[in-house]
Amino acid sequence: MSIEQVPSSLRELLADVFEVAPEQITPELSMTTAENWDSFRHLQAILALEGEYGVQFDPQQIPELTSVALLLAELKKKGVAL
Amino acid sequence: MVSETERQELRHRIREAVAKQNAAAAVQAIRQLLVATTKSSDVLFCSTAFSGIAHALVEQLGARRLKTYVVRSVTLEPILPVLSVEAGLANYVLDLQMGGYGSYVDELLNPASALAQFQPELIFIILDWEELAGRLEELCADGIGAEVEKEIEESAARMEQLLRNYRASSSARILLQGLVVPDSTSLGDVGDANLPHSLTNAVQQLNRRLSAVCGTISDCVFFDVDRIAARYGRARWQDARMFLASRLPVAAEWFTDYSRGLVRCFSTLFRASRKVLCTDLDNTLWGGILGEDGPEGIATGSAFPGNCYLEYQRYLQRLSARGILLAIASKNNEADVREAFNIRTADLALTLDNFVAYRINWNEKSDSIREIARELSVGLDSIVFVDDNPVECEAIRQQLPEVAVVEASILEPWNLVTALAQQPYFDAAVVTEDDVNRVQEYKAQAQRTELADRTGNRDEFLASLEIVCTFQSALRAPLARAVQLLAKTNQFNLTTRRHSAAEVEQFASEAGGQAVVVRVRDRFGDAGVVGLALARTQGDLCRIDSFLLSCRVIGRGIETALLAYLCEQAVRDGAKRIVGEFIATKKNALCAEFYPENKFIGLNASPDTSNGSIFYVLDLVNSTITTPQWITVEGN
Repeated sequence: MSIEQVPSSLRELLADVFEVAPEQITPELSMTTAENWDSFRHLQAILALEGEYGVQFDPQQIPELTSVALLLAELKKKGVAL
Repeated sequence: MVSETERQELRHRIREAVAKQNAAAAVQAIRQLLVATTKSSDVLFCSTAFSGIAHALVEQLGARRLKTYVVRSVTLEPILPVLSVEAGLANYVLDLQMGGYGSYVDELLNPASALAQFQPELIFIILDWEELAGRLEELCADGIGAEVEKEIEESAARMEQLLRNYRASSSARILLQGLVVPDSTSLGDVGDANLPHSLTNAVQQLNRRLSAVCGTISDCVFFDVDRIAARYGRARWQDARMFLASRLPVAAEWFTDYSRGLVRCFSTLFRASRKVLCTDLDNTLWGGILGEDGPEGIATGSAFPGNCYLEYQRYLQRLSARGILLAIASKNNEADVREAFNIRTADLALTLDNFVAYRINWNEKSDSIREIARELSVGLDSIVFVDDNPVECEAIRQQLPEVAVVEASILEPWNLVTALAQQPYFDAAVVTEDDVNRVQEYKAQAQRTELADRTGNRDEFLASLEIVCTFQSALRAPLARAVQLLAKTNQFNLTTRRHSAAEVEQFASEAGGQAVVVRVRDRFGDAGVVGLALARTQGDLCRIDSFLLSCRVIGRGIETALLAYLCEQAVRDGAKRIVGEFIATKKNALCAEFYPENKFIGLNASPDTSNGSIFYVLDLVNSTITTPQWITVEGN
């Protein structure tokens, strides 16, 4: 997958959360590959996404959304227009 | 809300300012972005920016860096970026260290704990009520709860013991967060309200007890988080999903309000509140323009919209009652203003007498405010200026950046009191007797000035004041006042060390230590505790750590009397030499020559490179400092 597949608004948001350049937000980026992406940043990302797109994640699912691709898929599933 | 282009432009400006390490430009752009944005990711972006300029904030804007330890039983990590933004906006840089979950007792008591090793300057204690009073929910279930009172007392006593033990080993400032009153319980709204021992009542009671406990511990402040939760709605304060899943105590929506409240609260432990409210008159203290509408035409009094202004006047009156000085800077004819205050007395909550200083003329307001500051012997950073005119407000912001400016809205005069109350300028966790008496003291000062104008000879004038100085241990005078002086005094302050109450106690109680306050009164009134000296004698050498005097009593020989007393005590403790220290700041040039003027001899010609200290010594065997003959000394 290429960088274009991450919508720019999501890319910018996650870049702010993980303190990286937006170009680094690729679908493959995950908790295992991103240095800054620990469990607290994960929670921050979830809260920021909820605030930005007006959605709520199920707490049981939250720990499983461990990559940009998974977050993106979940947002799409919730009908978020990205 | 700004457009996306403007938002990106602000973000770009922030990035540039951070890259150039220009703290002022960065903070300004961050402020603008935060006013304009609704995105929480922008707050995170600002948090990153603040960590990028932490050093510049300290170096360029004098931000206070604080090693801060968080003792907690809940998840606060997602809030920390927001907290660092609010702290940065208030000119603090927090070096945060998080404690473990549920280990607060060990952290506070164990001398080898992570908390003790971190050696913080500030600690937050943020526990939920299960940790503080775990049995309360069960005991309150029936609303009758025979043991509820006992549980509340025991919980408060436990916390008091913990804080006391911690205080014995650390002088870190302490913020203790209270509890959020639950929005609903199994008793329902009616039961909660009517049953004496419902959980809601019990938590409120426990909060009051904890607040009282904080009042008995030095440098400790109670953070009433329930007040903030209630302001925005307790029902929405917590996101039950996130609390139950991750123990996140506050919903993401309120991170900023929560953080701002926290910063406002701990800030009172480090910074003195502002002292003067300087108000404009037309369309601020009253509605309309006196010069055009005439004294009968201006809006003030019980009918709308005059009552909006009356509310503001009452608010000022209440500020004055706790020692905030009121002043006027207005472009008007003074005679017209006097006439208006006379004719409309019945419709005004204030008289001209309630103002300790005023400049009613056609000069630039920046000049008027400067003059008022000089007349009241306060720094510009002690002044809050309120005006409806955006041009005047902007002029003051630019010309006198130290002055805090509150812009009154002409169109919405009913909002002025709220706008003022939202600002932290007059926040204080402690109000001392000296604060309350201050307004009176400034009036006495005016009488003194008048007498000085009439008496030509300085010595004669000083003798006619009948000054009496009383020296006391800082422990015997209200300790809070000594600490307040350390925090507030800028001009006549030789070393400007902002010691905590615990450190003052240390000076007062150790062998060879001195923590002396001076109280001053004269024929015009009692100025209260106005000066403090901290010194330590070891062997035959006494070192003066701190020496300061409120600037409103300078020039009457009181500083010399205090030094004489300090030397006498040092000799009694076995000192043969006394060393004074001067550290130059932007504000204390006034006392640069204090030691040489009192026969001390300079030890180093140029300031010590590490902290800029210049040292002076006096041989106590062959010389003494004499108290000026016009001062009567009382005390031990």
